[in-house]
Amino acid sequence: MLSFFRYTLRETGTNLWRNRLMTIAAILTVTVSLFLVGAALMLKQSASQASSHWQQGTRVTIWMKPTASQAEVSAVDSQLRTLPFVKSCTFYTQQQDYEEARKLLPQSEFSVLQPSDMPSSFRCTPTAPNNVFVVETSFTGQPGVLTVTAPEQQVRQMEKVIRIAQWVFVGLAGILLISATVLILNTIRMAIFARRREVAVMKLVGATNWFIRIPFVSEGFFQGLIGSGLAVGFLAVFQTWYPLPVLFRLSTTAFIGSASVVAILGVSIGSIGSALAIRRFLDV
Amino acid sequence: MIRFEDVSKTYPNGTVALKNLSVEISKGDFVFLVGSSGSGKTSFLRLVLREELPDSGAIHVSGKDVLKMPKWRVPYLRRNIGCVFQDFRLLPNKTVFENVAFALEVIGRPTETIKNQVTQVLDVVGLADKADNLPSELSGGEQQRVAVARAFVNRPILLLADEPTGNLDPANSEIIMQLLERINKAGTTVVMATHDKGLVDRMRKRVIEMVDGELVRDESRGLYDTEVSTGF
Repeated sequence: MLSFFRYTLRETGTNLWRNRLMTIAAILTVTVSLFLVGAALMLKQSASQASSHWQQGTRVTIWMKPTASQAEVSAVDSQLRTLPFVKSCTFYTQQQDYEEARKLLPQSEFSVLQPSDMPSSFRCTPTAPNNVFVVETSFTGQPGVLTVTAPEQQVRQMEKVIRIAQWVFVGLAGILLISATVLILNTIRMAIFARRREVAVMKLVGATNWFIRIPFVSEGFFQGLIGSGLAVGFLAVFQTWYPLPVLFRLSTTAFIGSASVVAILGVSIGSIGSALAIRRFLDV
Repeated sequence: MIRFEDVSKTYPNGTVALKNLSVEISKGDFVFLVGSSGSGKTSFLRLVLREELPDSGAIHVSGKDVLKMPKWRVPYLRRNIGCVFQDFRLLPNKTVFENVAFALEVIGRPTETIKNQVTQVLDVVGLADKADNLPSELSGGEQQRVAVARAFVNRPILLLADEPTGNLDPANSEIIMQLLERINKAGTTVVMATHDKGLVDRMRKRVIEMVDGELVRDESRGLYDTEVSTGF
């Protein structure tokens, strides 16, 4: 059994090396396609993470100027209470908004802020989604009001963009995955052709079919594994170094989830590619 | 050892390989299979190895019905059969030792056993000093001896040889024949397809002659050609 493992590893290594140009092409295609798959997965994860955060309760926010007087704040407050299309409102003081900014902004940007720079805000839930616009128009430009934002609108917009980007990624990745499988199939085919004499002798002296097949299967398996390993590596680099807003940052657990999908996909296409080649080209 | 009962085989292109062939070869026999090219000798050997299946009839090899044998059992059947061919079929990038060892390696024998058995069999064929040479560095006769060593290293109960002397000069043919005879004396059944009249006539072993896929002659201690009655 031990000698079988050694045999398989040695044969696999020899095959990979003998076919190294094709092997590299196959591995890089696997890497690029799986990087796209992984990126699409992570995009989806961080988008849903961000939008679920934004959608918690607040649908429209009235930001007061940091310099707004108490009277101006009270005026907005009483106006909100009388409006029929506003269901409920919460007032955030400058200090509270400062605390929230600490969570949302990178440290470098946050450190220059003072609580007195922050706007205080009213976070309001309208009775119906469309009333967001009414709130927006009636408060914009009022004394002491800095701006009125309706995150839902932006979130919707952003979700739409992300969804399109995701489908583009998945589409490209699909095409690349198919070509990766075909490339792996072809390298295995070449390996089978290069070793046809050995295979003939093996059949003659009574090697079992699986003994003959396994080095080829493991060759495809390793191509998929190396390719997905590289893809996970690039994703990790991207995740660590790309300056994404904190809100979009994935937790390690979420990243491992995406990475596992990528790894499983890589190993699967490697095995499928070699299985197809063996079925078609290895006559045992 | 080998029993063919009314075996017929026609290839998809219409060539008739064997026609109602019935023959029995016992354990320990040494048999020459003679006949012109296309008479069915090679088909006979391929059927024994179960590289092909007949259209009709029954084939038993070492007591087993090869037609009823499940596909996964075939390798185990072949482990008991050694094969030698006219074109040697050695692996060019492996040394003599590795070529012979390969046959044991791929059936999962432990390294220590492989080393012992290969050394021993290379001694038998007289190539112990060439163990580290590549096949391309050997003469044709030596290459065929390596092939015989590979066929015999697992001590098969049956050895099939398809014109093993076809590419060799008389002196080397003689060495191969001595080897095959020695292997036969050790208890292995040998079936050899050949065109070499001189060898067959000198050895006086059992001769099975085939013409167009049919058995036309089966004599113990036969000659290559039918003995012509001279009238004495």
